Amino acid sequence: MRLRAVEPRRYVVYVAFLLIVAFFAVTLHDEGFLSETNLLNIVRQTTPVTVMAVAVVFVLSAGEIDLSLGSVVALSALVTADVMQTQSAVLAVAAGIGVGVGVGAVNGLFVTLLRLPSFLVTLATMGLVAGLARSVTNLESVAVENPGFSNVFGSGNVGPIPSLAFWALGAVALGHLAFRHRRFGAHVVAAGDNAAAARAAGIRVDRVRFTVLLLSGAAAALAGILYTGRLQGASYTLGAQDLLTVYAAVVIGGTRLVGGEGSVVGALVGSLIMGTLTNGLILWGLSSSQQLIAQGVVLLLAIALTFREPMGATA
Amino acid sequence: MAWHQSSDFTTAVSGGAHDEFKELGIRVVAETSADFDAAKQKSDVETIEAKRPSVLLTLPVDPVVTASAFKAAARQGTKIVLLSEVPQGMEYGRDYVDLVTDDLFQMGKRAADALAAAVGDKGKIGYFFHDANHYVTNKRDQAFLTTVTGNYPGVKVVAKQGIADPTQAGEEANAVILKNPDLSGVYVTFSQPPGEDVLAALRANGNARTKIVSLDLDAPLALDMARGGHTFALIADEPYDLGRAMAVSAAYGLLGRKAPRFVIGPSLTITKSNLVEGYRESLRRYPPASVMKALHK
Repeated sequence: MRLRAVEPRRYVVYVAFLLIVAFFAVTLHDEGFLSETNLLNIVRQTTPVTVMAVAVVFVLSAGEIDLSLGSVVALSALVTADVMQTQSAVLAVAAGIGVGVGVGAVNGLFVTLLRLPSFLVTLATMGLVAGLARSVTNLESVAVENPGFSNVFGSGNVGPIPSLAFWALGAVALGHLAFRHRRFGAHVVAAGDNAAAARAAGIRVDRVRFTVLLLSGAAAALAGILYTGRLQGASYTLGAQDLLTVYAAVVIGGTRLVGGEGSVVGALVGSLIMGTLTNGLILWGLSSSQQLIAQGVVLLLAIALTFREPMGATA
Repeated sequence: MAWHQSSDFTTAVSGGAHDEFKELGIRVVAETSADFDAAKQKSDVETIEAKRPSVLLTLPVDPVVTASAFKAAARQGTKIVLLSEVPQGMEYGRDYVDLVTDDLFQMGKRAADALAAAVGDKGKIGYFFHDANHYVTNKRDQAFLTTVTGNYPGVKVVAKQGIADPTQAGEEANAVILKNPDLSGVYVTFSQPPGEDVLAALRANGNARTKIVSLDLDAPLALDMARGGHTFALIADEPYDLGRAMAVSAAYGLLGRKAPRFVIGPSLTITKSNLVEGYRESLRRYPPASVMKALHK
């Protein structure tokens, strides 16, 4: 029987997360860090990023990138909130998801039919969709007064567990299942690792690329709807800061930027690391500038430990 | 303290609040900056609330979508002191202690008066406004436009350009200046960075005649002013004193005493002749060394 070699770097992200939690637990034990409310806050705050991170694992693993995520968040949130002023919540959510699927489909069609790099296509749609988000309500924020919607998509609880946690866990469970235990996940990795070889093996690479971009648009739309539920309103600025956070979470979690390797559970942990760091550093009482410096240092360490070449490896 | 962004303005407000709190024996336990992201500000407020603070000072990013966070904090018993804007549905005395604000109309009016003076009450001007839903800048911009069109019939606004992304104002500035080389003056919604971008665009286009009036003190514009360049006036408030006022209001709340519904801070017009005094009054410090050197040449 042959034993598979264990790659320690695969597990660095989990150890890093535990160390960060342990560090804050010790240093902030009387500052509310370990309180149930605060821990659940971290889950609530990171859920939109986690949902997008799951989809981005597929996008990056397939060798693509989606820069339009943040803009889709804003447009989907505003469309959902706006439709809800006159229509049912179900229709509003469908419209919001429709926005994401539509943008994802446009991205996918341009990438596959016109053979354009996803970086450039989604850079263009990022601007286009951001412009639409600004004009759809003429820069006005839209309040949502629908307790049922807010409970399901953001502010509610099931027992002590926030409803947002179920969305995060659902996205991670489905994503992990599809990535690790379904043929689609293997096709994504194969397409990202070596597209020519994947084609030779009978994998429809363009279909994979189209699907991951569609998935990414839908996930960003869901994130926008979750923001709308949590904030009980929407604004064109939502999601503007999320793009780098999502990609940082995914890459820290062990997904390669150049495709061919990914981890959905790693992305969840990456997202939790980002959220826990922000949370702990605020509770530490650091100024905003100090928080940014500390975040940068910790992320640099995490990335260095996760991605450093093994001893003796050549470039 | 949960601020909307990081800038010279928030640094000075925070400094004033810190100093006043120190004198009152109140400890600051957390401070955040939301970078104009409403979702981040909600998260920031929730995180701060884990420390069960007695008081929260804040400038809300968005009156609609951050309201739920502040209402939740108020329900937990935290005394909230607001800067500039009241979140939707929050009531004075019940949900917040006090609103401390600049006289935003006065600031816009001062800018209009200064620009009219710069161009001798006649000529063509450009109007660079903040094309975003932000109460403070929107009010100031509107006040400028109302005053300049209503009070100065000889001054014609021939170019109106919105600045959607303040960090990317250079392209808009270049286009407007290229199309309108004969502008006598321009109003820029705020100094850092769009005012700096407009100044750079004027220089790049070899324009030596157009005067700039903008809002908030800013070192590159102050240096240009000290050198007798394009910048004619900067309209500034007194953020350090706004911070002190917020801290005093917070103390009222803690003592269970009623603070005034509004505290309105003054503003000042800073030109080359009162640049040093303006810095002292607004930011409680001297201008940067480069500005002082240029003034003494």
